[in-house]
Amino acid sequence: MHPPELLKGTLQTIILKILKDHGKMYGYELTQRVKELSADRILLTEGALYPALHKLEAEGLLTTETVMIGKRVRKYYSLTPEGSGLARERVAEFIDFIKTMTTVLKIEAA
Amino acid sequence: MRLSNDHIDYIIKDLNYRGIIAEEIQNELIDHVCSAVEKEMACGKRFIDAYHAALKSFGHTTGLRQTQQETIQLENQKVKIMLRNYFTIALRNLSKNRFYTAINVTGLAVGIASCLIIVLFVMSELGYDKHHTNAERIYRINGEIKFGGNHYMLAVAPAPLAEALVQEFPEVENAVRFRSRGSYLVKASETSDNIKEDHVVWTDSSFFKIFTVPVLQGNSQSALKEPNSIAISQKIANKFFPSSTALGQTLILDNRWPMKVTAVFADMPKTGHFNFDVLISMSGLEEAKGTNFLSNNFQTYILLKDGTNARALEAKLPSIVIKYIGPQAAQMLGGEFTMEKFVEAGNKLEYSLMPLTDIHLYSDRPIGELAPNGDIAYVYLFSAVALLILVIACINFMNLSTARSANRAKEVGVRKVMGSLRSHLIRQFLTESILLSALSFVLAVALAYLIVPIFNELSQKSLVLPFSTPLFYLVLLVGSLIVGILAGLYPSFFLSAFKPVQVLKGQVALGMRSGFIRSSLVVFQFVISVFLIVGTIAVYRQLDFIQHKKIGFKKDQVLIVHDAYALGDKTRVFKDEVKKNSFILSGTVTGYLPVNGWRNDNTFWPEGGQPTQDNMVGMQTWSVDLDYIKTFGMKMMTGRFFSAEFPSDSQAVILNESAVRQYNFEQNPIGKKISTFTGNNPDGSPDMKSMRSWEVIGVVEDFHFESLKQGIAPLAFFLDGNNGSVAFRFQSKNTQDVISTIEKSWKALAPGQPFQYSFLDEDFANLYTTEQRLGKTFALFAGLAIMIACLGLFALTAFTAEQRTKEIGIRKVLGASVSGIVVLLSKEFGKLIIIAFILATPVAWWAISKWLEDYQYKVEIGWGIFALAGLIVLVIAFATMSFQSIKAAISNPVKSLRSE
Repeated sequence: MHPPELLKGTLQTIILKILKDHGKMYGYELTQRVKELSADRILLTEGALYPALHKLEAEGLLTTETVMIGKRVRKYYSLTPEGSGLARERVAEFIDFIKTMTTVLKIEAA
Repeated sequence: MRLSNDHIDYIIKDLNYRGIIAEEIQNELIDHVCSAVEKEMACGKRFIDAYHAALKSFGHTTGLRQTQQETIQLENQKVKIMLRNYFTIALRNLSKNRFYTAINVTGLAVGIASCLIIVLFVMSELGYDKHHTNAERIYRINGEIKFGGNHYMLAVAPAPLAEALVQEFPEVENAVRFRSRGSYLVKASETSDNIKEDHVVWTDSSFFKIFTVPVLQGNSQSALKEPNSIAISQKIANKFFPSSTALGQTLILDNRWPMKVTAVFADMPKTGHFNFDVLISMSGLEEAKGTNFLSNNFQTYILLKDGTNARALEAKLPSIVIKYIGPQAAQMLGGEFTMEKFVEAGNKLEYSLMPLTDIHLYSDRPIGELAPNGDIAYVYLFSAVALLILVIACINFMNLSTARSANRAKEVGVRKVMGSLRSHLIRQFLTESILLSALSFVLAVALAYLIVPIFNELSQKSLVLPFSTPLFYLVLLVGSLIVGILAGLYPSFFLSAFKPVQVLKGQVALGMRSGFIRSSLVVFQFVISVFLIVGTIAVYRQLDFIQHKKIGFKKDQVLIVHDAYALGDKTRVFKDEVKKNSFILSGTVTGYLPVNGWRNDNTFWPEGGQPTQDNMVGMQTWSVDLDYIKTFGMKMMTGRFFSAEFPSDSQAVILNESAVRQYNFEQNPIGKKISTFTGNNPDGSPDMKSMRSWEVIGVVEDFHFESLKQGIAPLAFFLDGNNGSVAFRFQSKNTQDVISTIEKSWKALAPGQPFQYSFLDEDFANLYTTEQRLGKTFALFAGLAIMIACLGLFALTAFTAEQRTKEIGIRKVLGASVSGIVVLLSKEFGKLIIIAFILATPVAWWAISKWLEDYQYKVEIGWGIFALAGLIVLVIAFATMSFQSIKAAISNPVKSLRSE
């Protein structure tokens, strides 16, 4: 498990990138997807996920649609065109960041 | 594996129980938990275990709630949304309570409008003479002379003093003098008509170097250097030379003196203590070249070098008095004179420096002011009044908000239960009050726009709302914020402090009875109202007193034709011509009028003795003709007036009572003689050989010839020609007829000369324009103050009546009478108003006594003024209250009681 402090700045990037790759998803699905992709090494807590989703939605980067499933209401999130642009940007930024960190921490290419 | 409906219901209920209730997130969390449970159950767990495992990943109840709260907060932190919410709620609240909103806005708007106008007034008063670049370095020479029973405060100095100062003190860079000789008749050529110009002055060519008056045509360096040269304002240039350039042209002054225009300057701004249209070169004035230090006729201004300490320079002025004035005084008063002895005898001869920018507000010298000045006291007074009115308006707002707190207590309670913090509520209430104040400001600007012309009329100012300056809007914005916050602060803290449990249980007994502060505020409002009303009545009483005081002459039915010198040698002919009309009772030719006429003074002593410091009397010396007292209606006390039967009357003098007292002639004044010098040596000192004496042949009863602020100074009539004006006493109902008849004679004898006339009673009233203005302005603001205060009272009564509807209904059912209920409802505030009256009385009494100290003749402030003011306030207040209380009292009790 990666320590949560390391994940803090990347939460939005993760959400945006996953939504970009998978189209619409709901909250629980997102957590499961991350878990799967990171082989259980990254755990998106609900306490961080939902505020982040609502914030992105309020900023107009995500749109939502709600579907009734029996007695439950499911809320699907998907990227707006702006959100999809931002996703690309964020990923590029992050790659850049990793490069910088590699030099800063003098990590030898393994 | 899908969850059954029962399981889902369980989860929904349980999450609800754990406090997940926010609409925005509730469904999502339910779905999330359900999905997690399904997954766990797919691994073979029991429902309840799966559910707890899912909860655990959230961090149980605390984690759930935290997630919910963070999500909500994220949305609420969007400042825009939040403000919009406050704003919407505020708007709804205000429109729900239209009646109170209207009262609040009206009251505040009237208050702010008055404040706005007064601020404009104060700013214009404070901004006088600031447009001169050198304003900070320019000083006027003021004089103070105490001698021969007289005490003069002068704004003028001797003619040679300016030159002496420049010579003696290197720190004096330059100096300029003004000599004002009243109005002039001006025409552009021999053939055109004369126009009377009031703002004419003689001045030195250094004028343009010291004062910042832009020269539009001509050279400011060379202008006014030559004798018979003048500089004129743009306005005059346009008036006399509409189609050609004025520079180099000639204007004829008083039909005699052709003057060459050497400069045209921009019209002087109204915010200067002087405002001239025509400047005449001083180099053509003999009097200005004299070396006589004993007569003070010249307004003198000096420009100091940068960094000069004016106080230090002022301290050196006595040396000038000793060096230049001492010898001349010694010569006139005899050899033993020294400045030391002069001062020891309680006399005074001092000069001081007055900063240019102080002149308008701080200078009120009886002699030598170029124009009537303002008064710093009125600036303070009006500022205070503006502030008080604003405070009254704000108090209304506070009172209504807290009084209505009973209605809003429930709202506060519910909001708090829903999770509002105190700061949220404070912000909500402040938004409401700021919104209200902003609304009032908009209304106030509109109101002010309407009132400014009226105020200008009253105060003789030309104020305009500065719509074109951005700063104005900024000030309005900041003002509305400040007023909004001030007015909303107390209510918002008061309301937001409620405890929800108590409020919702109905335990907080709020409303009318909880208001010690509110009562004090009402009392305060009415103290101010009573004070202003008493002030208004006092000013009017004093005015009335002055105008109906025995003034010693008969001011009604006297018409004065001014500038009679335009008739040349035909003044007598004109007088005789007009006197032929049967409605003219008498006529007199003289410029020395009891109101606003010429003035001339000289110093005399009883014949026989040497002139010394003790026996000299400074007197007004007026040249009059035989019909003077007949026309103006003065009474002789003893002796006789000048008469054609006594040719020797040219050697005679008539004194007033005040002069007789000064000479110690009380025993038997008739036949006594007084002397003075009638000529000057070439150097300006009095010529000893020119001594002449006059015999007293009569004493005239004292009459007022100055404002009643001053006492009656010694005065003497001499039989001498003076054609300043012609006054006629007439007896006719049709004054228009009188005017046109006299004008006809004037036109025949003085073709092309302007016919200027006035009525003595109007001139007399004009002496007290300041007081009249004060009275009217006070009345205006007192009216506004009581209006705003009553507006608040009106709303408060309405509110009490509303609160007590049921009580009133029950009382009526039990047999209470309408009048009984009206009294019941009015009693509470009636008490407050009476308390206010009691508190205001001593303050008002003190203030009026202070104001009246300035007057030599003043009205007695009896209890009548206070009784009247009290009555006015009570009547207005009860009328206001009774509207509401009668409405409540006559309402049908069935209506108010049916609902329970």
